[in-house]
Amino acid sequence: MINNEFIAKIEGHGTLNIDLARKKAELKVLEGERLFEGILVGRPAKDAPWITARICGVCPIAHNLASLKAVEAAFGITPNKTTILLRKLMVASQIIQSHTLHLFFLALPDYLGLDSGLELAKKNPAAFKAALSLKEISDEISYAVAGRAVHPTTTAIGGFHKIPDKKSLKDLANKLENNFDSALSAVNVFRKLDYPGYNIELEFISQTDRKKYPGYDSTEIISGKNNYSSVKNYKEDISEEVRKNSTAKFAKYKKREVMVGALARLATHYKYLAPVSRKYVKELNFKNPFYNNFAQAVEILHFYQKAREIIKVLLKEELDSKIISPSNHPPLKGIGAVEAPRGGLYHEIHLDGKGKIIFVNIVTPTVQNLTSIEKSGQAILDQSPKISQDEAQKLIEMLIRAYDPCITCAVH
Amino acid sequence: MAKIKLGIFDFTDCEGCQVELVGLKEKLLVLSEKVEIVNWRLGQEKAELEQFDVALIEGTPLVQEEIDLLKTIREKSKLVVGLGSCATLGGIPGIMDKKERQKWYEKIYGPDYKGRGIDALPLSAYIKVDFLIHGCPVNGAELVRIFSDLINNKKLNYKDFSVCFPCKVANIPCRLLENKPCLGPITQGTCGAICLKGGSPCYGCFGVKDGANVGALLTILKNFASEEEIENYFSMFHNKSKLYDK
Repeated sequence: MINNEFIAKIEGHGTLNIDLARKKAELKVLEGERLFEGILVGRPAKDAPWITARICGVCPIAHNLASLKAVEAAFGITPNKTTILLRKLMVASQIIQSHTLHLFFLALPDYLGLDSGLELAKKNPAAFKAALSLKEISDEISYAVAGRAVHPTTTAIGGFHKIPDKKSLKDLANKLENNFDSALSAVNVFRKLDYPGYNIELEFISQTDRKKYPGYDSTEIISGKNNYSSVKNYKEDISEEVRKNSTAKFAKYKKREVMVGALARLATHYKYLAPVSRKYVKELNFKNPFYNNFAQAVEILHFYQKAREIIKVLLKEELDSKIISPSNHPPLKGIGAVEAPRGGLYHEIHLDGKGKIIFVNIVTPTVQNLTSIEKSGQAILDQSPKISQDEAQKLIEMLIRAYDPCITCAVH
Repeated sequence: MAKIKLGIFDFTDCEGCQVELVGLKEKLLVLSEKVEIVNWRLGQEKAELEQFDVALIEGTPLVQEEIDLLKTIREKSKLVVGLGSCATLGGIPGIMDKKERQKWYEKIYGPDYKGRGIDALPLSAYIKVDFLIHGCPVNGAELVRIFSDLINNKKLNYKDFSVCFPCKVANIPCRLLENKPCLGPITQGTCGAICLKGGSPCYGCFGVKDGANVGALLTILKNFASEEEIENYFSMFHNKSKLYDK
């Protein structure tokens, strides 16, 4: 293995082979299998959120929350209002954290002709400053609510081991107030980029509750304009295919290639965006997956605003730190769905009568996007008759990066 | 003086320790000015595989290609440093026993699937590792301490206190006194007892402190915890580091 065969600046290990004569691009996923669905079986339910957070260091909060929701459903637990608000704040900080890392550190160098995000410090100090500020704020929210920036320590089945005090919430509110410019400049950097011009038929899906911008509490999946399916049927609707020579599965929604993530959420829920971010929607091209980068920047602004609103509510309310216990006759089977930074994430768990894990199934957003990446890659090759091998390699790698795949999640 | 040539590698893992590294922000920038990062797949295209003064390796070498690359990195590096519990202990992926893998390949991927992973082991199962930066994930302040020693050409050293020290300083009630399991007394304390501060137990991800008395902790644990519960704690990050005879 020569190290630079792996696609640089994506989360996890994959290679790209382009056969220009046959106009075929093949993405191979070679990440080692950690077998999380096997690791958990036989262990107590409390281990599920703790261990599954470690599927991904970029979106640990998303896995932690999806797993908590699954376990709580299995135990028949309905968490209190404070818990839900704090978890929604975690979703906001997770999305800002992950999008910031991806946009400035992994994606932006492509557009500015740099090799590393660190070079931004000299080449585009304003963007670099915004990136650091957004990373700092989202890390601080995660630290205050989840106990740490990576891998939560405070979250518990039924609530929180520890909730933040009002003073730390007030500090976060001030910090968010004073750094709003950084969220605005993220949008300004990414709306002005010269995205490769392609026209690709994309179908989007997103989790939804039909009332709000998606995040923590969805019960359905929306596809296209107004087709809905229940999250309960996720396993039948999002079918995973095992491929030869790939450690990640490739998924389709109702047998169709769909895109999930920021661009998909915006396409299906733009009217629920915070007003400050809604005005950018008309600048997005929903037939061009490269615009997922711009969409992520718009979401940074949206979730920045959401974080401010949630903290405002938390500061007004009396905080309830009570952890809810399992019900008397729990169903022992549960599904937890959360919109992770990269799209819809599903955790399913089955327990025995003693609360021991007997079955786990996890479907990640990237598994859904892999088939869409392949389709878009093919469309780009088809639409570029005169492209050279080097150009094709560079362009398809940029496309893959624009989808922000998380290969470690996809394999898990 | 020539800049230190640094290679940063990730094997199979969650990449969260690299996220902590990026989380150093301005300090990472200072580091990048003092060293030359000649290979870092997550951060840049530039990928030299010639010679490293320091190779920082995250993750467990799970597949054959990773094991081969690990050996190559060892040959080309003056100093090999493990980054995070997957690299230093086998960590969370190490919970899976080698003999169980085939069963799970079949259950998760189906009967025709040919698994790539061999066994989730720490780097030290294959090569000599010069220093271990433990943690799941690693701690930012500890990274700064170790990097500044590296830049200043100092010998890297471990701190000689257990998790109990920062835990007591933070005035957290002792779990063992409440008959709740905890691996804090035998674990290196440079994490700052962050899990205990958040209300979670210590599962020992920062590695065993030099001179720790594992037997004495087991004696205490057996007073109130079942064998299964003790095994649950010791298998979380230490399943492959064989801390005690089962």
